[in-house]
This record gives sequence, structure tokens and C-alpha cells, in this order.
Amino acid sequence: MAQRNLTRRSLLKQAGMLSAGAAATAFMGPWRYNRVYAAASDKPLMIGLTSDASGQYANSGASDRRGMHLAIAEFNKRGGVLGRTVKTIHLDTETTPATGSRVAERLIARDECAFLIGAVSSGVANAISQVAQKYGTVYLNTNSSSPTESGKNCHRVKFVWDGNGTNFAQAAVQNAIRAYGKKWLLMTNDYVWGHNTSAATRRLVGRYGGEIIDEILVPQGTRDFSAMLLKAQQAAPHVVAAAVGGDDLKAMRQQVAQLGLGQKMAWINNQQDWPDVYGLPLDNLFGVFGTTWYWKLDLPGVADFVKRYQAAYPSDPMRVPGNVFYNGYMATRELLSAVERAGSTNNRKVIQELEGLKVSARDRMQHHDAYMNSATHQMQQTIYLATANHGTKERDDMFKVLSQSSPEEIRDTGADAACKLESLADTPTYEM
Amino acid sequence: MANLFPHLLNGLSLGLLFALIALGFMLIVGVMELINLAHGSLFALGAYFALVIIAPDPAWLGPLGESYHALPLAARYALALLVAPVLVGVVGMGLELCMRRTYGKKAEYGLLLTFGAALVLEETIRVLWGPSEQYLQVPRSISGAFLFAGLIYSKYKLFAALFAAAAIALVWLFLERTPYGAIIKAGAHDSEMVRALGIDLTRLRLLVFGLGAGLAGLAGIVLTPIWGLRPHVGVDAVIPAFLIIVLGGIGSFWGAVLGGILVGVAVGLTGAYASGWSLLSMYLLLIVVVTVRARGLFGRKSVLEA
Repeated sequence: MAQRNLTRRSLLKQAGMLSAGAAATAFMGPWRYNRVYAAASDKPLMIGLTSDASGQYANSGASDRRGMHLAIAEFNKRGGVLGRTVKTIHLDTETTPATGSRVAERLIARDECAFLIGAVSSGVANAISQVAQKYGTVYLNTNSSSPTESGKNCHRVKFVWDGNGTNFAQAAVQNAIRAYGKKWLLMTNDYVWGHNTSAATRRLVGRYGGEIIDEILVPQGTRDFSAMLLKAQQAAPHVVAAAVGGDDLKAMRQQVAQLGLGQKMAWINNQQDWPDVYGLPLDNLFGVFGTTWYWKLDLPGVADFVKRYQAAYPSDPMRVPGNVFYNGYMATRELLSAVERAGSTNNRKVIQELEGLKVSARDRMQHHDAYMNSATHQMQQTIYLATANHGTKERDDMFKVLSQSSPEEIRDTGADAACKLESLADTPTYEM
Repeated sequence: MANLFPHLLNGLSLGLLFALIALGFMLIVGVMELINLAHGSLFALGAYFALVIIAPDPAWLGPLGESYHALPLAARYALALLVAPVLVGVVGMGLELCMRRTYGKKAEYGLLLTFGAALVLEETIRVLWGPSEQYLQVPRSISGAFLFAGLIYSKYKLFAALFAAAAIALVWLFLERTPYGAIIKAGAHDSEMVRALGIDLTRLRLLVFGLGAGLAGLAGIVLTPIWGLRPHVGVDAVIPAFLIIVLGGIGSFWGAVLGGILVGVAVGLTGAYASGWSLLSMYLLLIVVVTVRARGLFGRKSVLEA
């Protein structure tokens, strides 16, 4: 039997190896539950931006991204978050759910992003959130507004910042039935957001004594609406409720304006994103539509916010911020604030902070206080109804705000019933 | 029937517009046996050139800016219809010069080069004009609506369909009644024989590519007041164009026209009666036609066929 001498050097070596082994066991145990990276204060905090740079929502995606960048720049200027600089990686989700999944997977697993932010398309948001839930990565759906996002497709890691189709319909339907009539026709973009939004409108029309006389499906990518608009004329509804978005909406709006149908029948457009309408003739902005924010709201902080936008993006053709930018900014700001309050990037702590989030009307630059619905993870906020501002001489003052509804008035109770969040214990944990 | 008639008319007008989109594509495929994937970007470029001609930044024109803007919109629009396709044609010729190194090689080289060109053109548009939606103005006389049999129709759509019909007729006259048209057709039929007859095939290809690109640009000017104008609008044009020439028979003029009209009627009727199928209808139509007649409606018989 060979005799081994225990020297000081070999003892230290073995102790070192033992410590390394123990550390590896602690940090590299089951991946699902223990992702711990060196969270040294000099290591930047990486955030993955999952917004569209091509496809139907490319333009809105760019606006969404600008909002996130401004919020991050403001935090970095103050010294970052928890003393760490915030850095971003953006990958184009191409307005395509399959790309959204791929991008999310890469940003989490390869680029080691602590959080993901961004979406305009509900299909893409749903795809990203499934991947995010698998890893436990906190994900902010900034701008997609299908009711399913905080309903049946809700996730513990996902937080939804935009008003959804039901919220906008709640704000509009009862008044529109009273003002225009009971015969309604639905124009529905043939994908998840359109169907869910129209379903919400259908329920509300029924509830308030109206009748849906027809529903015209609009496939994604439709550019010629003439047949559908002829059909709508033949049906002679009192109100057309359109849940059509992105480039499809732009084409439809142009054709409705050419026919003058905006004045011939009442139109309720679910939500009108600022990047989709900015710079177009006011005739193209027909009917009544919803929004979560407008740059001319007479509220504290709004003018300063507009100035900060203009200082940050002086050469941007969009001279004033819109709702998409606002949502991107607000979501990012609240996430970073939640990390600071949690004192950690631990996802469970951040989730708990966001679940208890309350933001005053002043901080939200809206008419009512807002709060995160802890059961659905959707921000409960003020919803505005607006129409084209024909009386203005100011080029960028395109909307005339008609009304504002409090979060309680437009609450999506269907989402409360449909959303089944995964338990926090079943959500993988990490700290970066 | 009374309900159906407006939709048939609408489908027909839509079909003429589709045919206009496919014409330039057909010419290039017919003569050069090249699938030009940059067709959609050239379509978009035509509209953006028209945008500049109709409403240029006054600073660009210097002292002339004010007097140019004082011209009636109809005059600036007519100028755009004439000049913008020529400019796109020049861009097309530049692209053809780049294509020359791919001639005689595998078809994939040409496909990749035109695909790359499409991306470059789209990005160039985004850089020069921004990513936002733009608005191409049309003269007041052809904007607005008119009432016919109790339904409202767009004046511009009617104008666009008539313009497309006129453009189709002019291209046909050019191909059928001029010596240049005869050379182009001969080149499409048997390029080696054309070369043997002493005709400069290199110049012919350059001109055909320029003409095809110019027609794409013209279609862009006519269509974008209906579809809206954004950097990636060309994607909406290139797919129907490709589908229509396969449906009508590759290289066939009347095949492209009839293919366009059939697609327009299919999209128009399904848009009214089964709107969820309206985009799919053109693909179903293609499947039916190609299943029955593999070379398309007016396609030439392949030497491989018995």
C-alpha cells in the first residue's frame, strides 16, 4: 500500500477543490430551480428587448423600444439599478410567434438576460411568455391587448401593461348603443387578438340589449377591403365595431376614408395605436377609438414627459410620444423600480413586488390611480375614448379625448375568471 | 343576384389591379427566365418616388419650391405617373447590371441576388423616408366616393381599375405592334436565334428589366393610395404577382391578365361571402388550376411533355 504524506500544500489543494465542489452543487443543481449567476455590483444587468422590427407591427415595435430605452437611460443616469448599469439586447421578433419563441429562448438561455420586455402582437407575446415561464424569467407584455393575455394565456412571470380589448369595449359599447343604435356589425382581424376582442364586444352588446347582425372576418395581410366594405353597406348596421390592427387597419382606414364611410355609419375602433395614425390626414381617423394615454392630456407631468421624449429623440419623425411609447416606458420604469424595492434581481421577489404594484394617477400621468391586478397580472388603469380632432391647427394634436373611465368601470371580469396563474413555488427561480 | 353584382364588379376591378402588378413580373420572367424577387421593392420604390414628386420638401427645390407647390395637385400627380416609373426603371437597369454575373449559372444565384436587392431597397426606403406610414395624395377629381344602385363606391378605385386597363392595353400594343415588342417576344421565345440575327441580347435584357421594373413602380403608384404606403408594402405585391404568373402561364401576357382577373374575382367574392377565406382563395385557385393544367392557363407546352 502506498504511503501518502499529508502536506500543507496538498491539504490546501483538497480544501479548495472541496469548496469548489460544494459551490458547484449549490449553484448548478437542477437548472429549473436554481439559476444563480454572479450578481456582482459591477456586472451589468442585462434586459432582453423582444419587440418587432419587421412585419405588421414593425413601426409600433420601434416606438415601444424607444419607450424602454428612455426609461433605462433615466435609471442609468441616476447610477443604474442596485448600483449596476442596465444594458439591453434587442432581437427582432418579426411579428411572428415562432420567432418570438426562438428569440426568447436565445435571450434567456444564451444571452443570460434577467428580464424580457416588449410585445405588440398578442400571438408573439403569448409565445414569448410560454418560454419565459419555462425559465421563470419575468416578462413584460408592454403593448399587446388581447384579453387572453391576462386571461387564459396568463402566466406567473408575465405582466400586461396595456388596456385590453374588453377594457376598451367596456368603455365604448353601452354609450354607443344608446347614441347610435342596436344593430352592430363586427369586423374581426382573423387572429387571436381580433377574435378575443370581438368576443368581448359581442358579450357586451348582448348585455346592453344590442344585436350582432353579422361578423366579417379580416384575414391578416388583407389589403383590399372593398368587398368587405360593400358587404357592410349591404348589411346596413347602426354601428361597425372593428377589431382590426396593424397594417390591415392602415389599409382599411384609407379605404373607409376614400368611401366617406366614416361619416355614413358609426364606427367603434377598439384601440388606435399612435404610431399607426401619426402623420395621416384626419379623415383617416374615423369613428371613436380607445387609448391609454395621449400627449395633450391636461395632467401634471405630461408636458415634461413630452419634453424628455423630444430631448431623447430629437430627430425622430414622430415629434410627440404616443400610447405605445408610453406603455413601453411605464412598464420598464416600474420593473426597474420593483427590482430596486426588492433589493435583488431574484425573480420571485420581483414578481411579488410587481403583484403588489400601485401607481398614483400623478405618476401614471392618467386620471385615476392604477394598480396591478395580482390575479391576472394586468395593469388596471384609466381608459380614454377619443375621436379625430378636426378643430385643431396644431399638426400633432390629432386626438380629441371624449371621455375617461376608471379601472373599476372597465374591469375585465372575464379575465379574472379565465386566468389561472402558475404557483410561485412552481415557477423556476433565478437571480442574476 | 342584385347583391352579387356589385361584388362581381368589384372583383373585376380588383383583378385589373392585380394584373397590373403582375405585368412587369411577367415580362422579366418571360424574357429572362428570372424570378425577380425585388419586384415588390421596386413597386414600393415607385410609390416613394411619386411621394417626392407630388409633395417634395420645399427646401430641396430651393427658390423653385414655392412655385412647384403652387402647381395643381393633378399636374404633380400626372408628372409622378410619368416620371416615377422611369426612375424605377433606371434602378431596375442598375439591378440588371448587377445580375449579369449570374447569367448562365444556377437559377439560385439570380434568386438570391434579387432577394438581397429586395432587402437593400426596403432598408434604403426605411432610411430615406422613415418607417412610418406615408400618405400618397391623389387629385380631388378622383378622390371621394360616388353612389351607384344604393351603394357607395370609391372614385379612386374606379380610376385605378381604368388606368390599369389602359396600361395593360398600352403594354399589349407595345409588344404586338412595335418592332421592339417583336424583338422582346422573340427573345422570350428563342434568345439564341435572336442573338444569331444580330440583335444585342445584352441591351435587350437591360431594356426588358428596366421596363419590368418601371411597370412595378407604376403599379406601386396606382395601388398605394388604396393599400397605404409603408416601407414593406412591396411584400403585399410580390406574392400575388408570382402567383398570378404561375396561374396564367409563365411568360404569357394574356395569362397574366386573365390570372389577375381570376384572382381578383376570387378574392372579391370570398371577401363578401366567406371573408375568412379571401386571402386563401387565390392559393386554392392556383392549386386547382395547376392540378388540372400544370403549365398554367396559357403556359407554353414544355419540351418534356409528350
